[in-house]
Amino acid sequence: MGTYILRRLLQMIPVILGATFLIFAMVFALPGDPLAGKCGERPCSAAYRAAFTEKYNLNDPLLVQYGKYVGKLATGDFGETYNQIKVSDQLKQRYPVTAKLALMAILFETLIGIVAGVLTGVRRGGFLDNLVLVSTLVVISIPVFVIGGLAQYFLGVKWGLFPVTVTSGEATVYQLLLPAMVLGSLSVAYVARLTRTNLVENLRSDYVRTAISKGLTKRRAIGLHALRNSLIPVVTFIGFDFGALLGGAIVTESIFNIPGIGGYIFRSIRSRDGASVVGAVTVLVIVYLVVNLIVDLLYGLLDPRISHD
Amino acid sequence: MTVQDTTRTDTGAIRYEPQDGVLLEVEDLYVEFHTADGVATAINGVSFELRQGESLAILGESGSGKSVTAQAIMGILDMPPAVIPQGHIRYCGHDLLTMDEEQRRKTRGPEVSMIFQDALSSLNPVFPVGWQIAEMFRIHRGMNKSDALDQAIRLMERVQIPAARERVKAYPHQFSGGMRQRIMIAMAIALDPAVLIADEPTTALDVTVQAQIMSLLEELQEERQMGLILITHDLGVVADVADRIAVMYAGRLVEKAEVHELYRSPAHPYTRGLLESIPRLDQKGQTLAAIGGLPPNLMRIPPGCPFNPRCRMAQDVCRRDLPALREVAPGRLSACHFAEEVIDA
Ligand SMILES: Nc1ncnc2c1ncn2[C@@H]1O[C@H](COP(=O)(O)OP(=O)(O)O)[C@@H](O)[C@H]1O
Ligand code: SF4
Ligand SMILES: [Mg+2]
Repeated sequence: MGTYILRRLLQMIPVILGATFLIFAMVFALPGDPLAGKCGERPCSAAYRAAFTEKYNLNDPLLVQYGKYVGKLATGDFGETYNQIKVSDQLKQRYPVTAKLALMAILFETLIGIVAGVLTGVRRGGFLDNLVLVSTLVVISIPVFVIGGLAQYFLGVKWGLFPVTVTSGEATVYQLLLPAMVLGSLSVAYVARLTRTNLVENLRSDYVRTAISKGLTKRRAIGLHALRNSLIPVVTFIGFDFGALLGGAIVTESIFNIPGIGGYIFRSIRSRDGASVVGAVTVLVIVYLVVNLIVDLLYGLLDPRISHD
Repeated sequence: MTVQDTTRTDTGAIRYEPQDGVLLEVEDLYVEFHTADGVATAINGVSFELRQGESLAILGESGSGKSVTAQAIMGILDMPPAVIPQGHIRYCGHDLLTMDEEQRRKTRGPEVSMIFQDALSSLNPVFPVGWQIAEMFRIHRGMNKSDALDQAIRLMERVQIPAARERVKAYPHQFSGGMRQRIMIAMAIALDPAVLIADEPTTALDVTVQAQIMSLLEELQEERQMGLILITHDLGVVADVADRIAVMYAGRLVEKAEVHELYRSPAHPYTRGLLESIPRLDQKGQTLAAIGGLPPNLMRIPPGCPFNPRCRMAQDVCRRDLPALREVAPGRLSACHFAEEVIDA
């Protein structure tokens, strides 16, 4: 187990280097002059241009620039934007918002998805089963900006049940309620269906038949024996989904004016702010890899037949 | 109504006492499966009884209704599609089919218990084996975790699992097939049931392991004086263990006899066919005389004797009249118009 984790951590290094280099190269290749508009209406002076180029290593070959960047990264220095704003400050401000939103969306999809999946799996073909089937189909087939827009208009603006947008920099839990539900809505549908399918399959299994013939109550045979097995793939899905949500949600963030990492990357790309893009993406890659590792380990804990030696 | 000598203990639980030595009484049982294709009558008027300390083998080809009979007794049929339109299954005089579900649930484990063919799929893959055995004590006896686990270890030792104490936390997939079946047996006998049903317990195992499991079952049955129902499609497996044999065909009992008598002189052509298809050591190399043809489709059982399309002795009467299960010699029942001739042959 210990060696497994170590091996996985070591495997991450080339992945991180590769991913950041790709991003770095792409940002480097973005057309446009970083100095455009920097000095008001006039073009910048030659001296300023030289100093600027020197400061940001703009004359070095790509690989050298990248090497210098990684060297600083290793010491925790994410560099500065061309406006002398520290990228790490930006990340520190925005990442907690994204993490909070992702966590809330995950809680929402886990709770509602599993409950809906269990209720429909136990009573197949009933009214609730059909209701959930239809509504998950609807949710899966409608794009998130439509769901988000409708939810914002009806639940926020018209009926005033939720705050319409996020107004503060740190985004309170209350303000994030509606966005989290919108963000989690697609996964709720997947979690509900995955739970239902697996539960139905496990209810037919031999070991549930054994559980009943042991004289266990139906509740225990289903709620413990069948469900414990049914949730293995569900938990795995939720884990990977969490990894994806931690990458930010550009559409949901922009609908609800959330100062998260998704919008940050989007704006940074548009303003050709290379340092911010590379810094943010580096963080996302690392988070994604770590979450994946945790999910794999969790999978081994949930299913004793999987071994990590 | 039978007289019931039911006594209630302080907890309000029913104490079950055998009636004149009879533990289980299946009477005129029918089980149908209602599917989109139609109604299949899987059990067609089956009656038998099981006495204290008795081993009854139920024998028949695959699909003859052995498992459905066992599942009806345990109350683990999926209903729907299964329907029990008529019949009684009495345990110590109490009809399990009309008993309320909570009361019946409490009989599973302490009174009637069952083991299955495939121990790997019958054990829960995500719980340790000791935990699964201990669950019996925790649910039925309200025992705490560590006491229940001690009991589980004792049982694992009883069914001869080596290093039981060290392996109590291991998972089903970490055991061999034979060891897993021993764990199933430990779980089934945990609460000292009066009746143990074993549905093809050795079919999935190697021949040498089969013999070990059978002798373990025999030993436990004698030690605890259980009533044992041993289901098999292989006569060779049960010969040493069973006292009586009931032979099933197409959802009916077609012959019932004491095991040695049945071996010596079967009273039904189907039983004779089954006997002739056992590989025998003294006839090595000879081809087995398997019964030709297939069992009937349960949605379209032929009129007359259900075995007639495959029977070498079939006459016109066989295609017309259903032979009743009747006493053809002292203590011998057969459902064949020509049973007397078969027995003497
Ligand atoms: N769930 C079910 N749905 C429909 N038919 C079933 C079901 N279970 C059993 N049967 C039918 O009942 C008959 C008896 O099956 P079974 O008791 O399992 O035979 P066996 O003697 O091999 O144990 C079979 O023909 C099978 O097709
Ligand atoms: S009744 Fe007729 S068909 Fe049926 S087993 Fe006897 S001889 Fe064969
Ligand atoms: Mg069977």
